[in-house]
Amino acid sequence: MAIEIKNLNKFYKTTKVLDNLSLTIQKGSLFGLLGPNGAGKTTLVSIMNYLQNCDSGEINIFGYDYKKHKKEIKQISSFVPQTYAFYPKLTAYENLEFFGALYGLKKNQLKKRINYCIKVTSLEKFINKQAHTFSGGVKRRLNIAIGLLNTPKILYLDEPTVGIDPQSRKYILDVIKKINKEDKTTIIYTSHYMEEIEYLCDDIAILDNHQIILHETKEKLLEKSSFITIQTQQENIQVNVKDNYIAFIEMLNTLKDQNTTIQNINFNNKNLEELFLNITKGKLRD
Amino acid sequence: MFQYILKKEFLLISRDIHALLVLFIMPTLFIIIMSLALQNTYSNTIDTKFQIALNTQTTKDTKYLIQEINKNNYFEAKIINDQDIKKLIYTQNFDIVVTIIKEYKSQINTNQKKFHIDIHINPNISLQNQLLFKNLFTEIISKQIMKEYFIKNKINAKTLSQLNKKINIIPTYKEEKFKIKPTSVQYSVPSWLVFSMFFILIPISNTFINEKNFGTIARLKSINVPFFSIILGKMVPYFIINQFQVLFMILVGIYIIPILNGDTLQINGNYGLIFMMSSAISFAAISFAIFIANISSTSEEATTIGGVSNIVLAALGGIMVPKFVMPEFMQNIASLSPMNWGLEGLLEIFVMGGNFSDIEAYILYLILFGSGFLILSYLILKKKENI
Repeated sequence: MAIEIKNLNKFYKTTKVLDNLSLTIQKGSLFGLLGPNGAGKTTLVSIMNYLQNCDSGEINIFGYDYKKHKKEIKQISSFVPQTYAFYPKLTAYENLEFFGALYGLKKNQLKKRINYCIKVTSLEKFINKQAHTFSGGVKRRLNIAIGLLNTPKILYLDEPTVGIDPQSRKYILDVIKKINKEDKTTIIYTSHYMEEIEYLCDDIAILDNHQIILHETKEKLLEKSSFITIQTQQENIQVNVKDNYIAFIEMLNTLKDQNTTIQNINFNNKNLEELFLNITKGKLRD
Repeated sequence: MFQYILKKEFLLISRDIHALLVLFIMPTLFIIIMSLALQNTYSNTIDTKFQIALNTQTTKDTKYLIQEINKNNYFEAKIINDQDIKKLIYTQNFDIVVTIIKEYKSQINTNQKKFHIDIHINPNISLQNQLLFKNLFTEIISKQIMKEYFIKNKINAKTLSQLNKKINIIPTYKEEKFKIKPTSVQYSVPSWLVFSMFFILIPISNTFINEKNFGTIARLKSINVPFFSIILGKMVPYFIINQFQVLFMILVGIYIIPILNGDTLQINGNYGLIFMMSSAISFAAISFAIFIANISSTSEEATTIGGVSNIVLAALGGIMVPKFVMPEFMQNIASLSPMNWGLEGLLEIFVMGGNFSDIEAYILYLILFGSGFLILSYLILKKKENI
């Protein structure tokens, strides 16, 4: 198990932000955390990275107890914030050098790792340019490159593609997939972009009202989102159509045999976004 | 790790042109302007003497008055017989017009009740200079009358007539080996140096707030970097920059001001004391800057709060207005400003030739001030869960 959270609670003064939250994430998985604004996603990720304290609960990360092994957990984790968390007046190389040194990398090791991160994120052309001159996409890549410096076992990515063009986004998503596949890095990915989570993640959880309200593999979630509703006089019958329509045809035949009048057929072949809106009741969150 | 923290801070400061202007160019200009502008205040000669018109008729006695006035370094007099005083002051640009009758001696000797001398002044002339002239003029007439009396009565009054020369003004230094001539540059360098050291607030708050707002501080916190290293990593580079300021301003005083016909700054080997004082000032300034950066949400807010605080502390602390011209209650208030502690400590070294015992209290105050703000910053950061 990469992460095991039991009964996690967090209050801001008297407001509950995380309510008895429990969650497990497998080693090597690409975990997507979805949730409307104010659900507690950032708080959860912040707690995992020691940016905030929790009020109660247990967290175990790669076998380390959260409270007892802060140093060890920090060593195997890396956090890429939503903001451009680097120094705009430093060059890409100077930023990587600074953060690499903070991770405790020494001269040759540091150079080697910087070169690897530059290569993975294709920053070769930008290493000697000051970061404030970069486009949004290049800034995002530098943000991720810094997060890879300590060869993390767990990489937390908080909305890493906000405000960039589709090409850059596609590139970043592929980089994340590559890191997960080649380095076996467990990735915790939070985003508002459902299609990103759908494209990227194999394990998805939805956080709403300060709790995990759904946690499934992508496969199972998409199954849940593919069904057809048959409206009869007596009831609404939902048929899960998965990859084929055999169950739907069988149901139609059964209803025909029973002489049941079909009033309407609703094809609810939903994607993850629709499922998300359905589950979270589609209410506007402030 | 620490060397990279230092490298980062130095790179950021070296690329912040506005901060460099505030830290090095602004105080240099202040020192040059103030040293040259106040040069005469601390000197016994002036380039432009006050112009005196003796509104009377030319006689042997009035000629004597002119001759004696012109012996003084501050005044230059001539006889002009004109009844229009305003014309003399505002058209002919005399600073002082003395209306005196040519028979003044006999009037004084016979105790004439209606006798008087009128000194008309341009209202821009300071009270100090008005009194200086009045005393000088009284002395010249008194001496003239007494001299004639002594001659008439065959009294040898050579010593009395040379009394002015016999009265010596002797600056008394705490340490004779450090004796320094008090000049405007000896006051300007420490004053504007302290002021500019506190402006370290601008680059500190800019970096700190950017780190806070861009999430860099969150990233740093998620890495195994002790809070102590982060804070020390900020303090050390700025401390070094403050010391560069000290060196730079001293060099301005020694090499630049004399080129512009000002006095040369004298140090007389008190480098150890200067370093001790500048270290304490730097610690206070950096801690105060970290505190302002912590309570501000944007760079603009920090620059405004910090800039205004610095100017108020400077005005109160005797940087802008010398403490000795302030009334007693203002002097007491001035003693509460950290800039005043820094300035008084440096003046002890630059002007009084003081030793460690003369500056230790100021060093203590500055360290207490700095420690207080550092502890406050720690508590604020802890409350905001940034530590």
